[in-house]
Amino acid sequence: MTSPAHEGLVHSIEMVVDSLRTQGYVCGEQVGTAVYLAYHLNKPVLVEGPPGVGKTELAKTTAAMFNLPLIRLQCYEGLDEAKAIYEWKYGKQLLYTQVLKETLEDVLQGAKGLADSVRRLHEFGDIFFSEEFLEPRPLLKALQEEQGCVLLIDEVDKSDQEFESLLLELLSDYQISIPEIGTVKARAVLPMVFLTSNNTREISDALKRRCLHLYIPFPDAELENRIVEVRVPDIPPSLRAQLVSFIQALRDMDLKKVPAISETIDWARTLLLLHADRLDDELVQDTLSVVLKFQEDIENVALEVPSLVRRAVPKDQ
Amino acid sequence: MDRTLISFIQALRNAEVRISPAETLDAFAAANLVGYSQREALKQALWLTLPKTPDEKARFNLCFDRFFDHATLTADQDELDPEPTEHSQEPAGEPPQDARCAQSELGQMLLRGDSAQLSLAMAQAGRDANVSAIALFTQKGLFARRVMDNMGLADLNAEISSLEAEDELSAVQLAQALRGARERLRTQVRDFVEREFLLHADHDGRRLREELLKRIKLSNIDRRNFKHLKTIVMRMAKRLETMATRKRKVFRRGHLHVPRTLRSNMSCDGALFDLHWKSKKIGRPKIFAVCDVSGSVANYARFMLMFLYSLEAVVPRVRAFAFSSHLGEVTGWFEEADLETAIERTLHEYSGGSTDYARALADLHDLCLDEIDHRSTIILLGDARNNYGDPRQGLLQTLYERARRIIWLNPEPRGNWFVGDAEMRSYLPYCHQARVCNSLEHLERLMSDLVKIVR
Repeated sequence: MTSPAHEGLVHSIEMVVDSLRTQGYVCGEQVGTAVYLAYHLNKPVLVEGPPGVGKTELAKTTAAMFNLPLIRLQCYEGLDEAKAIYEWKYGKQLLYTQVLKETLEDVLQGAKGLADSVRRLHEFGDIFFSEEFLEPRPLLKALQEEQGCVLLIDEVDKSDQEFESLLLELLSDYQISIPEIGTVKARAVLPMVFLTSNNTREISDALKRRCLHLYIPFPDAELENRIVEVRVPDIPPSLRAQLVSFIQALRDMDLKKVPAISETIDWARTLLLLHADRLDDELVQDTLSVVLKFQEDIENVALEVPSLVRRAVPKDQ
Repeated sequence: MDRTLISFIQALRNAEVRISPAETLDAFAAANLVGYSQREALKQALWLTLPKTPDEKARFNLCFDRFFDHATLTADQDELDPEPTEHSQEPAGEPPQDARCAQSELGQMLLRGDSAQLSLAMAQAGRDANVSAIALFTQKGLFARRVMDNMGLADLNAEISSLEAEDELSAVQLAQALRGARERLRTQVRDFVEREFLLHADHDGRRLREELLKRIKLSNIDRRNFKHLKTIVMRMAKRLETMATRKRKVFRRGHLHVPRTLRSNMSCDGALFDLHWKSKKIGRPKIFAVCDVSGSVANYARFMLMFLYSLEAVVPRVRAFAFSSHLGEVTGWFEEADLETAIERTLHEYSGGSTDYARALADLHDLCLDEIDHRSTIILLGDARNNYGDPRQGLLQTLYERARRIIWLNPEPRGNWFVGDAEMRSYLPYCHQARVCNSLEHLERLMSDLVKIVR
């Protein structure tokens, strides 16, 4: 999807990382390289990683960066082509059939014999299955965008196996076959495709083969620090450092659900709202429910809070 | 560079990262885009195109670091080739005045101490000697020797011996220097071959060993190989599991459920919009694993239990029983402890005593006859050697009539089933299936059938 308007944004990997940062998405080289390659090689990107590390956010930010519309398809069990690709406008078809019925006499006037009548009627039949009566769903819509777009197929692992196979044609050739019409190809500018997966089930090899595979793990302390800095700019740096090192320590513990970046950001906002300037035992105990989502986890961590806080807060403060 | 990338992909495949030709092409496109000059950028680009699971990504990182540690030298060779030829003339032209100059090419190179050029020559020699074909650790010496030969060891040796034959001081000094250099070269070459071995061969060797272990009779496997076996069992189980858990949509088919359809369409004035179909409830299957753990077959029991419990996600509700003279249920041990401890404990507690199949079957009746019904699959593992006691096949018959399936696994080859004190002849009519089972391959086949049956 090379277009001169975007050339300045994706000239090099560093530039991609910078432009993503100006949109408020802080990431490492790997993510930058993925966007860079996806842009230049016209390849879809399959993004995997634990929940809450910014997989969906990456697609959104990329759309904002290129100033392109974002078309989103949320996958779920039972999603089929009628909801993902296209649907016929049955109501409209029905209405037009009704109209045709009334004007049938005019149409058939002067027709000689059955064969001639059938031929005339046939002309109408094709009209009912034309683009006029086609209701495009996200995937088809993405192909029809003149200026290109960012297509986000979210949580592809939640969909059925059959749906994955349905995607293959789109992902490898940027086209969709509709039996009644033919093959719809992407316009001059190809859409940029992101797929996300939480790995609740193994994605098929065929799909993986067609994509660049980006795995976003939990960020290290330094990166997380920068992320919080960008997303919650008002938080004092010392508190930010404590908060991040506390979260990092939590991730090493045996928890049912480890806190993700989104939880870190939520917590930072909470602490900001409470006008905290440093972590202490009581504050952490009170706000722990922002970070941990299971009562079991909260109970487990509550016992460890003093030692975790001691480790997160440097002695001299 | 293309060749380097291809051989890198080869090394990745060796490390069990699956790469298709299509992905190879992607990798080339990506590498051309980011260029070869920045190592880190190249790594990222390949990281995105080649490995496709977190596990593979970890292996990729390891492989990349190991490969490009020395392959960069091999890689740059094409570009660098013309340069060293001019370059090599200079230092050779001004040797230390008081010493004699080495005659052989290798000798000159060694004494110059130009490590970059030496590495290049080594890589070239390695390529000529086809080092990447190394498969077993015993070949290390052989390949090291071949690399040395290709680098021109013969000339060097000849030169050293001819120098030593002379009386001149300078000649002896030179010979000594060359001798030392040769030793240093030998260690370097050995390291080089070692790295190549790790990169290319470790996996071939391992695969060979695994293939062997899969086929070998389980009773012949000695204890130090249990560790490997366990990983193999786990991997087999994992594969079966992914095969079996793949969701398949059940399409609506069969009979219309008329009452429910009419009822739910009452609001539409009886017009049938919303159809309901008759559905069948599938009861949860039950598996009863009954294992003979007396000395002769204990090892088979070990692996069958290991397999069965590794498949927990697909074959739910396994109940395990063990016997030699009397029978007892061991399911609880598997629930409370990890697999290995439970198996060890089972073998320890039940393995004493002489085998008595009749008693074991009677015990099984007492314990859980009521729970065996048309959903139960019973797996019996044993050699049916009853020490000439009464087999009491009537007990098995009762089970046969109740259960959905009885599978008898006999570790002995079919020819031995009816000789001596083996009672297979009495039991065979009351088994739905009887098969030889004495290697991991057999076990895997059994389990894949089992997964199909019980679902």
